[in-house]
Amino acid sequence: MSLIQETDFGAPAVRSEKTVTLTIDGVQVTVPEGTSLMRAAKELGTTIPKLCATDSVAAFGSCRLCLVEIEGRAGTPASCTTPVAEGMVVSTQTPKLAKLRRGVMELYISDHPLDCLTCAANGDCELQDMAGAVGLREVRYGYDGANHLTAAKDASNPYFTYDASKCIVCSRCVRACEEVQGTFALTIAGRGFGSRVSPGQSESFMTSECVSCGACVQACPTATLTETRVIEIGQPEHSAVTTCAYCGVGCAFKAEMRGEELVRMVPWKAGKANRGHSCVKGRFAWGYATHRERVTEPMIRASIHDPWKVVSWDEAIAHTASEFKRIQGQYGRDSVGGITSSRCTNEETYLVQKLVRTAFGNHNVDTCARVCHSPTGYGLKTTFGASAGTQDFDSVEETDVMVVIGANPTDAHPVFASRMKKRLRQGARLIVIDPRRIDLVRSARVQADHHLALRPGTNVAVLTAMAHVIVTEGLADEAYVRERCDLQAYAHWAEFVSLPQHGPEATEAVTGVPAAELRAAARLYATGGNGSIYYGLGVTEHSQGSTTVMAIANLAMVTGNIGRPGVGVNPLRGQNNVQGACDMGSFPHEFSGYRHVSDDETRQLFEEAWGVALGDEPGLRIPNMLDEAVAGHFKGLYVQGEDILQSDPNTRHVAAGLAAMECVVVQDLFLNETANYAHVFLPGSTFLEKDGTFTNAERRIQRVRKVMRPRNGYADWEVTQMLSNALGYPMAYDHPSQIMDEIARLTPSFAGVSFEKLDALGSIQWPCNAAAPEGTPVMHIDHFVRGKGQFILTEYVPTEEKVGPRYPLLLTTGRILSQYNVGAQTRRTENSRWHAEDVLEIHPHDAEERGVRDGDWVRLKSRSGETALRAEITDRVAPGVVYTTFHHPLTQANVITTDHSDWATNCPEYKVTAVQVSRGNGPAEWQVEYTAQARKSRRIEAAE
Amino acid sequence: MTDADEAHATGVTPMANQIAGFFVSQGDHAAAVAGTADHIKAFWAPVMRRELLALVDAGQAEGLSDVAREAILRLR
Amino acid sequence: MTVRVYVPGDMAAVAVGADQVAGAITSAAGAAGIDITLVRNGSRGLFTLETLVEVETPRGRIGYGPVDAVDVPGLVAAGLFEGGAHPLRLGRPETIPFLARQTRLTFARAGLTDPLSLADYRAHGGLKGLEAALALSPAEVAARVKASGLRGRGGAGFPTGIKWETVLAAPGPQKYIVCNADEGDSGTFADRLLMEADPFLLVEGMAIAAHAVGASYGYVYIRSEYPFAIAKMTAAIDLARADGWLGRGFDLEVRVGAGAYVCGEETALLESLEGRRGQVRAKPPLPAHQGLFGRPTVINNVLSLAAVPFILSEGADAYQEFGFGRSRGTLPIQLAGDVVHGGVFETPFGLSLGELVDDIAGGCASGRAVRAVQVGGPLGAYFPRALFDTPFDYEAFTARGGLIGHGGVVVFNDTVDLASQARFAMEFCAAESCGKCTPCRIGSTRGVEVIDRIVAGQAREANIAVLEDLCETMKLGSLCALGGFTPYPVMSALDHFPEDFGGADVRRAAE
Repeated sequence: MSLIQETDFGAPAVRSEKTVTLTIDGVQVTVPEGTSLMRAAKELGTTIPKLCATDSVAAFGSCRLCLVEIEGRAGTPASCTTPVAEGMVVSTQTPKLAKLRRGVMELYISDHPLDCLTCAANGDCELQDMAGAVGLREVRYGYDGANHLTAAKDASNPYFTYDASKCIVCSRCVRACEEVQGTFALTIAGRGFGSRVSPGQSESFMTSECVSCGACVQACPTATLTETRVIEIGQPEHSAVTTCAYCGVGCAFKAEMRGEELVRMVPWKAGKANRGHSCVKGRFAWGYATHRERVTEPMIRASIHDPWKVVSWDEAIAHTASEFKRIQGQYGRDSVGGITSSRCTNEETYLVQKLVRTAFGNHNVDTCARVCHSPTGYGLKTTFGASAGTQDFDSVEETDVMVVIGANPTDAHPVFASRMKKRLRQGARLIVIDPRRIDLVRSARVQADHHLALRPGTNVAVLTAMAHVIVTEGLADEAYVRERCDLQAYAHWAEFVSLPQHGPEATEAVTGVPAAELRAAARLYATGGNGSIYYGLGVTEHSQGSTTVMAIANLAMVTGNIGRPGVGVNPLRGQNNVQGACDMGSFPHEFSGYRHVSDDETRQLFEEAWGVALGDEPGLRIPNMLDEAVAGHFKGLYVQGEDILQSDPNTRHVAAGLAAMECVVVQDLFLNETANYAHVFLPGSTFLEKDGTFTNAERRIQRVRKVMRPRNGYADWEVTQMLSNALGYPMAYDHPSQIMDEIARLTPSFAGVSFEKLDALGSIQWPCNAAAPEGTPVMHIDHFVRGKGQFILTEYVPTEEKVGPRYPLLLTTGRILSQYNVGAQTRRTENSRWHAEDVLEIHPHDAEERGVRDGDWVRLKSRSGETALRAEITDRVAPGVVYTTFHHPLTQANVITTDHSDWATNCPEYKVTAVQVSRGNGPAEWQVEYTAQARKSRRIEAAE
Repeated sequence: MTDADEAHATGVTPMANQIAGFFVSQGDHAAAVAGTADHIKAFWAPVMRRELLALVDAGQAEGLSDVAREAILRLR
Repeated sequence: MTVRVYVPGDMAAVAVGADQVAGAITSAAGAAGIDITLVRNGSRGLFTLETLVEVETPRGRIGYGPVDAVDVPGLVAAGLFEGGAHPLRLGRPETIPFLARQTRLTFARAGLTDPLSLADYRAHGGLKGLEAALALSPAEVAARVKASGLRGRGGAGFPTGIKWETVLAAPGPQKYIVCNADEGDSGTFADRLLMEADPFLLVEGMAIAAHAVGASYGYVYIRSEYPFAIAKMTAAIDLARADGWLGRGFDLEVRVGAGAYVCGEETALLESLEGRRGQVRAKPPLPAHQGLFGRPTVINNVLSLAAVPFILSEGADAYQEFGFGRSRGTLPIQLAGDVVHGGVFETPFGLSLGELVDDIAGGCASGRAVRAVQVGGPLGAYFPRALFDTPFDYEAFTARGGLIGHGGVVVFNDTVDLASQARFAMEFCAAESCGKCTPCRIGSTRGVEVIDRIVAGQAREANIAVLEDLCETMKLGSLCALGGFTPYPVMSALDHFPEDFGGADVRRAAE
């Protein structure tokens, strides 16, 4: 094993049909027109000295090392900023250039510490490399002149350090912050010799607008911006490419190691989802893997009131198997079930559902996608025929109009948000449909053309009104519809949306969206060129979540925006493997590849492969399991990698359901909130400790590679396998690749997938089969998967969750950049420095009415329950709307949320809860009690 | 009735009504009944269907819509 | 009967008391019961005569100068308003040799008219260029400018017509005209004088450029040190818009710089206009292809744009027939430093440096001998008397290791120390460097240090070699002219005046 080295071409690749042939140092090379000389040379294997150029940002031309001579041209142009031209004859090494480069390096080194041997970047420093490359032997200026050798360090950021004394002012960090990340947090302060990189206006990195994405650290050619961990422990010695385990973007990283110690995670340029970029979570927030609270030994207890007892793996597995057998014997086969995790690998997820369907012998399996994107699956399958987003992420580079609905990409999908912002800076137009003024509405060099700040819960009314405008104003792409869609359904739908009551003027009173603004937005989407829709949980987590997804699909079809790059309907998945968990048959009504359990042929296939009889009726979904538990029929649950107590709605009901069970098995890294109600705790493994695959939001299957042994002894799939064997259903996989082989055998859309092919191609977007051997970046190109696209009527039905005198405000929930989901991982990293607690965003008007000041404790009460948190007064939310995140168990935002759910999938209505806010004076009684109980529940009996 | 009871809005009757509500909006009565029945059959565990049928039989399915009632009876 | 009296409102004139003179004349006229119309004209550009008061008489305009406010009662008593005799009486200004010897194509109206009177402007031939241009196709206008041989007056000397043709050919729905009025070179003031004396001319030149390339909007980027020019240009633009020849398809506005010399560099100026820090851009892309806000942009100096109306109204040949070699037309040269006659002297290319310094400027005002002349601003070379035969021509100056730049000529007498001037050049570069490219950012600071060592006699020979290497690195390696031209003053000082680099001790020892 060695450290993976990536080639830096010095300038970004250029896409052009036209090519140009030129001669560099006597060798001919042909490259796309517009390519920079430096890149053309590198394609030939010729390295031109450089410092300010790197292929992640546009050429800048400041270091003056890459100067070349061109026949027939005066002077010594910089090769990074000079585009190739037909017939050009270039020399990259001449005595004149050699002298010039030495002269420039001599200047650099005259203001740089000579501490290479003790420098953190020793061996990984481009300045050092260049001094060698140009043959610098002496610095005749001496070191008693003006210099920055004593410039102060900024160690305010927990993950990286800025050492100004080592800065060569190449602006790579500043440009990466602008061009790659799109935050514009960095600048060069001062000018001339005094020029220094500065976060904001002479702020520290921590207090500036820096989002700690790491792009600047990545871009820095010296030790100026260095991971603090590298400073502390030194350079890595080997690396492996793996996939981030946070959000659904699926960034590819190099895990750079020293032995089994992770030194740093470095974004991999060849990663097709992230293209070399990262965010604060994936890049830096992996310290949880070795956090002291991580539990690495199995534990059991008879009652949730007892302390935990550490046991051996054998004992834990045997105990669990015997409990499940006992329960099934006593209460029937359907009295147990399992929950797969969108955080685990495809192989692990597949294995859990297989365990439930074989060893448990029922279909009582569900997944956390139930509470996030289940409406996406239902809605897109109904309209298009495939339960997945239609595009790859690269598609955004060809879009002209983006519609972002109920998603907050800069916080929840930051790396893709950066790609969106890049496209927006290039001139694409933007429509945001969200109750809250998310950052995309207005941030550095990005401004939405239209922000439809609708009232929470009125998505369907807004989208149907947009359809009304498109149809009644004659903006429909009728040729597309005639060719690609079911015409009878279209006619029916067009008549429906054309009704006056669906017009924006009629719905304005309900939605709060000014009719003129909505009309303008609809026109822009319909006529602005390639229109793409990106959406998140603000679409799905509603009582009409599935209807909203179908309304989105209708809009895309009626405008002809499906089936080519630049368009499409793109759900932004919350977790790393939501798509994969759904693909793997985690839902109680379907097998892998979205095939219903009632389908005889499919069932037969699995019965033969698995050697068991399978039922033809769906099993229980998570909310049904909890209802059945409260009703006394459901007694045993195996939860892998999910914390339903914190993440699922109406916490009290979840707690009641769990408390009513006799054996709750939690498999996790930490004693999470659900574990407070568990009888068996099986320690989990991190993504660094196992092999497997994740599938991201663009259906991209990517490898997860083991870089260290599991601290808990076993990868999660091995634990599931042990449990299955103990229950009497034999499993004997030696490696996750064998599980993937089985998935491929049994799932048509995965038929061509194997670890071998993944290793060869880097990643594969399903469907991958004989028709598409290397996968499918864009779906529905010639026809919809279901045949003809299906228009569905989308009648707006107001949610049952209504405001009134007692609960006059609407609460909606979301995420913040630094934290992830229930926070189990990120709260156990330095990321908590950015977001130590959940706060309630409230409009100044509503705050004033209640006498609430910024930072006050407030009580937040709904029909479900009550909690307390601090208020943040902001006009980011509209009057009448309040907002919070759900990252912290102390807040327990889901104590507030209700049981209302999507009509089709029971996806909870997290995004709309009627609440009242009043001044408080600290945590609610419930929170104090819960904290005490949780502490009690987490006791572990001292070893004898 | 406490707030908490009021908030616990699951339960097979309102769920069936929600589903029926969607299919009623799609077209005529017969299609709505068929759509509702198909949806329930495809996504509900048998135990839930039985629960709703038991409520209907016991005359306790208060507020169950006509379409939902017809649909569940069709699934008996 | 009303008497028209002219008292310049020019910033230089005001600096020497023109406002007080104007006040004194107004009150003296009131006291004497004489009805006068006071016109605050621009300066004619001979600053040694300011405040130059002119009175319109039946025999033409009679000038008096330099007038101080205390002189006014005496002047009035001597019959100022009738052009009466007085020691300060200069006769008809156009007969003053410094003015009479000029060929004023660009500055033809400067000092003659009320700068903000459109009627005056028209009466003196204004707007004929624009009218002529509008009768032609854009390509014809650009071709005519090309045929005139006009080259960029900012210093680079690039043919203006070719630049315009490039922008005309560049595709794009939006194009811009940007006027570089960030006149930062030491010893230069022609842009300021023109904007204060004849602002409509610049507006007209920009309107012609807009027609030639298809631009719909323009910016005049004026340095903040020019408040009078800012006010005049702003007012002129408003008047032109009210008059209808701006605002119909082309409009423009004034933007004020923030004191960075480097913003006179065209790409840094564009960055500044876009609201960013003034930092030089690498070329390509050329501003003509991707300029302001990434759009095709004409960026020209004030004097380039102001030369255009003449070319259009009188024809390319009329302009082209003046000049020397490949340098066609006239150059408004600015004479400053230790000179007898300081001011703007517009003349066809080709006059020798010696004629200018000794004859036109009249040598040193101090009476001392001329030792060195710096031409072309702070980045221009120092010329010794031995090179005074160099004709004013872009190529001739380049051949002698110098540059014309914006036409600034600063005369130094024999007390000048060229080593400290060389040090100042590096110091200036260090102070004004945008900090983007390494040779300029670090090199200029090192340059000051090395010159200090040379002057202090520390390893003199070795350090001179270091300085020469540094100058070569800066000249060939810098991104823009600031770092690239700083070696001109340094190396010319070292080459032509090596005796100044001996260091105090060395020199004493030598004596």
